[in-house]
Amino acid sequence: MDLKLSAAPARGRKTGESTEGRHRLRNRLIRHYQLYLMLLPCIVFFIIFSYIPMGGLILAFKDYQFNQGIFGSPWVGLTYFEMFFQDPLSLQIIKNTLIISAMKVFLAMPFPILLALMFHEIKRKKMQSLFQGIAYLPHFLSWVIVIGLVQRVLAPDTGLVNQVIAWLGGDGSTFFLMEERAFYPVLFWSYIWKDIGWSSIIYFAAIVGINPALYEAAKIDGAGRLQNIWHITLPGIRPTILIVFILSLGNILSAGFDQVYLLKTPGNMNLSEILDTYIIYMGLESGQFGFGTALGMMQGVIGLILVLTVNWISRKWFETSIW
Amino acid sequence: MNKKTWSKMILLVLICSMVLTACAGNQQSQGTSDASGDKVKPDGKPATWIADRKIKGLIFMGSDVVEEMNPEVMKKLKEMTGIELELQATGFDSSQKALAAGLAAGDLPDFIGYYLNHSGRPEMEMINKAAREGMFYDLAPYLKNTKIYSKYFEDGYLPIDTKYGVMFRPEFNGAAYVVHINLTREPGYGVNKYVTGPYIRKDIADALGVDPRKITTTEQLYELVKKIKAGGFKDNNGKGVYPIGPIIWGGGDRPSLYNDLVWSGFNGEGFKRDASGKILHESQTEYGLKRVEFVQKLLKEGLMHPEYYTMEETRAKEGILNNSFAIIGEMHNYVDENKDNRYIPIGPINSVDGPYQMQLTYKSGYGAWSIPKTTENPEDIVKLADFLASREGKLLWEYGLEGRDYDLDAKGNPVPKKEVLDLLEKDPVSAKKLGFGGVGNSWGWYLGGTDFYDLEDFGEAGFGANQKPDQNKGPLEIAKYWSYDEKRSQAKVKDGYAALAFIGEFSKGSQLTMALDKYKESIIRAYYAKNMTEAKTILDAAAKQLQTAGLEDYIKLLEEKDKDPKTQLLF
Repeated sequence: MDLKLSAAPARGRKTGESTEGRHRLRNRLIRHYQLYLMLLPCIVFFIIFSYIPMGGLILAFKDYQFNQGIFGSPWVGLTYFEMFFQDPLSLQIIKNTLIISAMKVFLAMPFPILLALMFHEIKRKKMQSLFQGIAYLPHFLSWVIVIGLVQRVLAPDTGLVNQVIAWLGGDGSTFFLMEERAFYPVLFWSYIWKDIGWSSIIYFAAIVGINPALYEAAKIDGAGRLQNIWHITLPGIRPTILIVFILSLGNILSAGFDQVYLLKTPGNMNLSEILDTYIIYMGLESGQFGFGTALGMMQGVIGLILVLTVNWISRKWFETSIW
Repeated sequence: MNKKTWSKMILLVLICSMVLTACAGNQQSQGTSDASGDKVKPDGKPATWIADRKIKGLIFMGSDVVEEMNPEVMKKLKEMTGIELELQATGFDSSQKALAAGLAAGDLPDFIGYYLNHSGRPEMEMINKAAREGMFYDLAPYLKNTKIYSKYFEDGYLPIDTKYGVMFRPEFNGAAYVVHINLTREPGYGVNKYVTGPYIRKDIADALGVDPRKITTTEQLYELVKKIKAGGFKDNNGKGVYPIGPIIWGGGDRPSLYNDLVWSGFNGEGFKRDASGKILHESQTEYGLKRVEFVQKLLKEGLMHPEYYTMEETRAKEGILNNSFAIIGEMHNYVDENKDNRYIPIGPINSVDGPYQMQLTYKSGYGAWSIPKTTENPEDIVKLADFLASREGKLLWEYGLEGRDYDLDAKGNPVPKKEVLDLLEKDPVSAKKLGFGGVGNSWGWYLGGTDFYDLEDFGEAGFGANQKPDQNKGPLEIAKYWSYDEKRSQAKVKDGYAALAFIGEFSKGSQLTMALDKYKESIIRAYYAKNMTEAKTILDAAAKQLQTAGLEDYIKLLEEKDKDPKTQLLF
């Protein structure tokens, strides 16, 4: 009896809390309805183009039949995952993917930060805009054009690099793109060249958002430029760096199809076969949609686990996280 | 003579002249009526009438498809058949991927067209899967009741692969879900005399006093390119030439340059029988390594362009136009870049079996079409296909409109108008807008491009060939120089299945296909290896991958298939 009596107010409190919460939410919605209205198209966009298509992931466990559609096709369990891991190429493909992704996520990360810091140090606005414009431009070129340029610059005999080597007394006939050892450097630096400017925007915006009073105070204390950067700018943009890093981990198993596919030559075939190219070959070109979906799903799930884990670590250690 | 006799005489003359006129005009009017569809059905519709409807086709052939139709030509088609035809292209660089996506989406129009040169092509397995799952109509009953396509049921008309591999697969018990096209009426029929292989700049051959036709081995070729290098020949810009430049269509590894070092098989798939009759893949022979040794020698001594295997087509063609290559790895005598015959053919280089022998297939298809189950009255599409495959249909989509694009001669054959031919020569883009095959828009081919015999149907080898006999003067001179006719008369004509035709039914088909592709890539990688030890390691790894992917089992399957006359191999 006592128990009942004591339990009743608890339930009433819970109900009261949730009713109060709903009220608060409704009030917030009414008060900020303009903002929520602006948000609505984005929510609709993500529901239509990101969440509803996720239903297609079911294909990873089904033998897709043209006449029965995704939901009517028979279940095959984990067959496609088994198929992939039984393929002798699978370990090589995962290794290649991880190396290229790691280069892009970890090695490439400091470059846009450095560029943003450099932009911030340019005091003349016009010069700053000019350099920013120049740095952003390559992002708008397609990989086809960028790799075309790379091919011409690195061409044997006639390419700029080989011409310089020959001018310096070297051989000048090296076919860089056919050499395995040149694959990673070419891939990395072409990626940096194309994306460094664009990636620096978010860091630059974060730097601009730092309170100028901090720099003024540091100046009074006699801090130099490098000390400003080390003690004010970098700590100021640390949350941004962490969030960009966490989000980029979601793509750890997507090494970037376009660039790798275009740079692929028989000479670097052992390094350039990645999950994205494998999915296209086995999934789409061979019409094995279930198999392709299973691998795509694996990329996404591993990316999600990494994002969640690192987000948790970041929240615990650095008090910065996506949510 | 009295009045009555005169009247009888005049009446007799009138009757005779009417009969004679009718007889004399018979041949010509047949052509005219064929062309315009003037024959009428009892209900007042022309004899070629099918149905008053619109038919939409989706063609998975990438950029080859011209969607834009000429309104006047389409009006004529409508008058003759009642059909309003609309073609849609997938506009995608890879037709195979587009077909896969199209089939998966399931939203297909009245008919689909796709590439299919033999049953080993990857598209075939996709179409078979769709057919097994009831996605397409069985067209056999409709095809039987046609004028042209009914020939597909005659013995000996279809090549074996088309008959049992593509159209009437045993697993479907006589049903035909795919219609193979681009077949010729007669076996081995071909109007062009293609001479394909390596070519050498004539002035260089002359300067060195070499008859290129006598270069028939790779040893001789090597000696020749060394002489070229020593000769210090220049291109149009005054720069030194590369002794061997890439194939005209851009980087690639084709056998004709070093044919005696390639275990290429009948159609270059790498499967061939050895002297004991056993089927081997090149990875199981020494030829891969022998070829690598030869190419490494050429590359290291600067006798071959370093980008031979990777150069883009535009750069390769630019190099050829600038005469930057003494030898072109491969081209043929009909390419526009060699209209002046400044390059002449080498060899041909012998094969691994000995002296060169021309090899021809009995007949071979190139494209195919199917009708999805969602289409109403599929017989209308089959009838349209049959009309387009007939002489009158071909006249419309190959020659355009009578009076506007061509006139008929006394025999009823089309004679293209001079202004059309001139426009085609001066402004091919504008000419294409006239909307027929002769000017580059073969809209009728996707359904009706089969049973070809233009010489018999239209009295000429191709559009405008009779009026411009010099059109192919250059190519024919090369054919004569190369003794094409003699080689053609001694050609080996074979009918059967390609080596990869059964890959779809092989359990490890995808892995083996990938391993075969990897083998080809590994060969090129080995060409650029530092030394032969590294090259051997590369090739051994590729061979091992092929073994893991089930190469031996696939060869056993091929041996089994070859025992059945319905699935005999080409080699």
